Amino acid sequence: MQDQAVGRKIFAFLGEKWASIFLVVLLVVFSLVARNFFAVKNFSNILYFATTYLLLAAGETFVIVTGGIDLSVGFVMGFVGVVSSIVMRDMLAAGNSQTVCMLVGTLVGLAVGVLPGLVNGYLVARLRVPPFIATLGMYGVANGLALNLSEGFPIYFLPTRVQEIGNSFIAYLLPGKAFTFFERPPNLQPGDLRNLIGIIPGTVLVVAVILLLSIFLLRRTKFGQHTYAIGGSKDAAIRSGINVPRHLMGIYVLSSVFASFAGIIYVFRIGVGNFTTFSSSFELFAIAGVVIGGASLMGGRGTLGGAIIGVLILNTLENGLNITGIPAFYRYIATGLILIAAVVIDQLTPERRSTGA
Amino acid sequence: MKRVLGILVVLALLVPAVVFAGGTGEPKAKTYTFAYMSGILDPFMIMIEKGARAKAKELGVNMIVAEYPKAWGPDQQVPILEAMVAKGGFDFLMVVPTSTDALIAPLKKISDKGIPMITCDTYLGDGNYNKASNYSFPLAYIGTDNEAGGYEVGKKLAEMIGGSGKVYINTTNPDVSSVSGRRDGALRAWKEFPNIEVVGIDYNLDNPDKAQAQTAAVLQANPDLKGVFGTNLFSAQGAYRAVVNAGLTGAVKVASWDAGMDQINALKAGQIDFTLAQKPFEIGQLAVEWGVKYLKDKTMIPNKVLRPGYVIFTKDNMDDPDMQQWIYK
Repeated sequence: MQDQAVGRKIFAFLGEKWASIFLVVLLVVFSLVARNFFAVKNFSNILYFATTYLLLAAGETFVIVTGGIDLSVGFVMGFVGVVSSIVMRDMLAAGNSQTVCMLVGTLVGLAVGVLPGLVNGYLVARLRVPPFIATLGMYGVANGLALNLSEGFPIYFLPTRVQEIGNSFIAYLLPGKAFTFFERPPNLQPGDLRNLIGIIPGTVLVVAVILLLSIFLLRRTKFGQHTYAIGGSKDAAIRSGINVPRHLMGIYVLSSVFASFAGIIYVFRIGVGNFTTFSSSFELFAIAGVVIGGASLMGGRGTLGGAIIGVLILNTLENGLNITGIPAFYRYIATGLILIAAVVIDQLTPERRSTGA
Repeated sequence: MKRVLGILVVLALLVPAVVFAGGTGEPKAKTYTFAYMSGILDPFMIMIEKGARAKAKELGVNMIVAEYPKAWGPDQQVPILEAMVAKGGFDFLMVVPTSTDALIAPLKKISDKGIPMITCDTYLGDGNYNKASNYSFPLAYIGTDNEAGGYEVGKKLAEMIGGSGKVYINTTNPDVSSVSGRRDGALRAWKEFPNIEVVGIDYNLDNPDKAQAQTAAVLQANPDLKGVFGTNLFSAQGAYRAVVNAGLTGAVKVASWDAGMDQINALKAGQIDFTLAQKPFEIGQLAVEWGVKYLKDKTMIPNKVLRPGYVIFTKDNMDDPDMQQWIYK
C-alpha cells in the first residue's frame, strides 16, 4: 500500500513537471548524440531565436487562458516590424541621429501595435464575434497592411546601430584572453571573432524582463485572477462582478502589444524590416508552445512558465535535430513524432486524467 | 452608437487591404491589353511587372495586374486567376505557373477561349512546348535557366574555397521548379570536386528567421564549414546573417541568388561574397514585346523558349554603372 502511494506521488510530480522534464531529456539526449550541441554558443543561439516566439506565446497565453485564441499575432509582428522600420529608415534619410531614429521607430511601432488588439478586443468582447474568426480577420488585415506599406520589398537602409544592438551580448569571453561586459573586447584580430563567445544575447535579457513582468501580472494581480476566472466560467465571472468585456479588451490589446515587441525585437536582430511571409506560421508555433506547456484551449488552465518551457522545447528540438545532421525530410517526421509522444505521455499521467483535459 | 463606431473602425482598417487586392485598369478599345498573373508577392515578381509595364508604355499597350498571391501554390493562385478571367478584358496573358501540373487545366481553359499566353519564370510540364502534349499550348516560356545558374554558383563557390571542404545549401521549398533547379545545379557542380562534402540542405519556406536559425545550427555542428549557398532573397538573408553572427565572415564564403538591395548592401559590407542576379525586368519586357509581335502578325518565339540569362555581382564589379540596372528595386 505504501509503495502505491509513493508511486502515485511520483506520477503526480511527473505530471505536473512533465514539460520541464521533457525539455531536460531533450537537452541531455542531444548533448550525447549531437556533436557541438552542448556549448554556450549554441544555448545562446537557441535563446536568441526563441525570443520572438516567447513573446508571441506569452501574449497567446493570456488569450488562451480566457478560452480565446489570437491568430493574428504573426502578422501583427510583421506589420509592426515594417512600420517601425519605415519610420527609422525615413527619419535616418532625413538626417536624424541613429538613436533618435531607433527610439521614435520603436515607439511608433508599439503605438501602432495597439490598434489590431483594440479591434480584436472590440470584435470579441463587444460584438461577440468568435475569437477564431475575429483574429483570423485581423490576420488578413495585418498581412495586407504590411505588404501594402512595404510594397512587397523588405525595408532596408535602417540605422546600422539597429542590428549592432540586436546582436550584442551581455558579456563576451575570448578564452584565455579577455572577458568584457556589453562591448566586444578591444583590438580583436580577424581570427579571434571565431573564438569569441557571446554570453546571453541582449535581446534575451529584454525579453526575460518582459516575461517576468507578465508572470507577475498573471499570477499575482487581480488582472491575472480575473483572467483565469473568465476562462474557468464566463458566467461565474460576470456574476462575481468582473467587467468581462473590458477585461477581454485588455487581454487582446496585451496580446497585440506582445506581438509588437516581437516585431521590433526581430527588426533589431536582423537589421531589415521583413514583413511576415505567409508560410511562416509564427502564430501556430506560439500556440503550440502554449499548449505543450500544459494550457487548455478550453480556457481556465495554463501558465506562462509552461508556455516558456513549451517554446523552448520546440526551439531545442529544431536546433538539436538540425545539429545531428539528419536530412531535412526525416527531421520533419521526427519533430512530429516527438511532439505527439510528448503530449501523449503527458495525457497518461494521473494528474491530467483526473482533470480530464 | 458605440457599436456603430466600432464597425466603422474595423471597416477603416479593412479598406486599404481590399483596395490593395484590386489594382486593375480599365481596358480601352483598339489597344491591346496584357494581363500579368504573378506567382507570389516578392521583389522578383514585382520586377517582372515593372519590366512589362515599361515595355507596355513604350508600345502603347494596357496592363492589368492580378492580385499577387501571398503564398506559392495553385490553391492560392488559381482562384485569383479565375477571378481575373471572369472579369476579362485582356488579349494576352503573362503567367507564372505555381505548379508544373496543377496549372495545366486552368490555363488550358483560358487558352481555349482564344487568349494566347507566355509562361514567365516557371513552366508547365517539363517546359518543352515544342513537342505536342497536353501542356504545349503556351506560346513560349521565358525564364532563367535555374539549373545552369545553380551550376555556375556551385562551381564559383567551390573554386573560392580551393576545391575542398564542407558546403551547405539553404533554400526555400523542396517542390518548386526554380529553386530546386538552383539546388540541383549546385549539387551537380560539387560532384566534380571530390574533396567537397555537402553537409546538408535545409528548407526555410521563405522565412528568413528560420533560414538564419538553420544556418546557425549547421555552423555550430560544422565549425569548419567553408561555404553556404542561399538560393533566394530570404535564404541568403538568413544565411549571411548567421555567418556574421558566428564571427565567421570571410572564413565561410557566402554565395547568394537574386539581387535585392539587402544582398547588394551585404556584398558591399563583405558579408556576401557574390550573388547571381536574374533579369526579371527583361523577362517582363520580352514577354510584352513578343506578345505584341504575336498579336500583330503571329510572329512566334523561336523554339518557344527564351533564356534572358543572368549576371554575377561580386565586390569588384558591383559599382560598375552598367551593373546597376540588374539590381531589383
